[in-house]
Amino acid sequence: MTPSSTRGTFAMVFMVVYAVAYAIAVENNYALFTYHPATGEFGPLVQAAREGPAMYWYGWMTSAAIAASIAAGIASSLPHGVQRFWSGWSWAFPIAAMVLFGYLLRGFFMR
Amino acid sequence: MTTLLLIIHGLLAVALLGVVTHQAIGVLLPAAKAPASFLDRMRSVSASSYVTAVVVLYIGTAILGAVIYPEYRLGVRVVLEQLALSKANGAFELKEHFAAIGLGMLPAYAFFWRQPLDEKYARARAVTTATLAFIVWWSFFVGHILNNIRGFGS
Repeated sequence: MTPSSTRGTFAMVFMVVYAVAYAIAVENNYALFTYHPATGEFGPLVQAAREGPAMYWYGWMTSAAIAASIAAGIASSLPHGVQRFWSGWSWAFPIAAMVLFGYLLRGFFMR
Repeated sequence: MTTLLLIIHGLLAVALLGVVTHQAIGVLLPAAKAPASFLDRMRSVSASSYVTAVVVLYIGTAILGAVIYPEYRLGVRVVLEQLALSKANGAFELKEHFAAIGLGMLPAYAFFWRQPLDEKYARARAVTTATLAFIVWWSFFVGHILNNIRGFGS
């Protein structure tokens, strides 16, 4: 496999897995860490709010990025990885994830 | 300090808005003839020349947004909830998720635009660019509206 196709496989698989993993992380609150903005403290995994709200967004993105990096690394090490991968998945999944979030958050717009 | 960062975040967003919009127009509505009008010139830009700028500006804007986000969470969102402005609150929730998804799209976006352009990625190039443009426009509008509702330091 050429370096270019390896990079392509990594980038496209990363995009797909990141979108899926991010949606799963948000929906199930799989944050790798929690940030407490009132105190400026970080804590591992999901922690309850204390002295103000807890922020999980950074942790969700980190969880998704790690999952996507591992999956993309494995996929790009496979022979002929990019030939088997339809490039359309790499934009279909992020768009589907965006539509999903629109659906999940519809309650904000229907009150 | 937060106000300064917010202003820089806004300025980077304006630059990103211009760059990604030019590129999206150039790839979705390419000019078929020699440019004569302002619109034709917008359509005839070399879309591939914007890739590095889009990536750098997107990451820079996202980092600054992430830095000032806690201030929003403590000082703005609480007020939105107290005022029962659920649509504004929901719009920001969407912005947060769209921006995060956009970050994950950047490696593939850069790959689709690598030189020489590969014709088999033409659709992926166009859709990815259009999606990023949508995310940037959504984020810009929502950020602007929320800042009008309650700016930092107010």
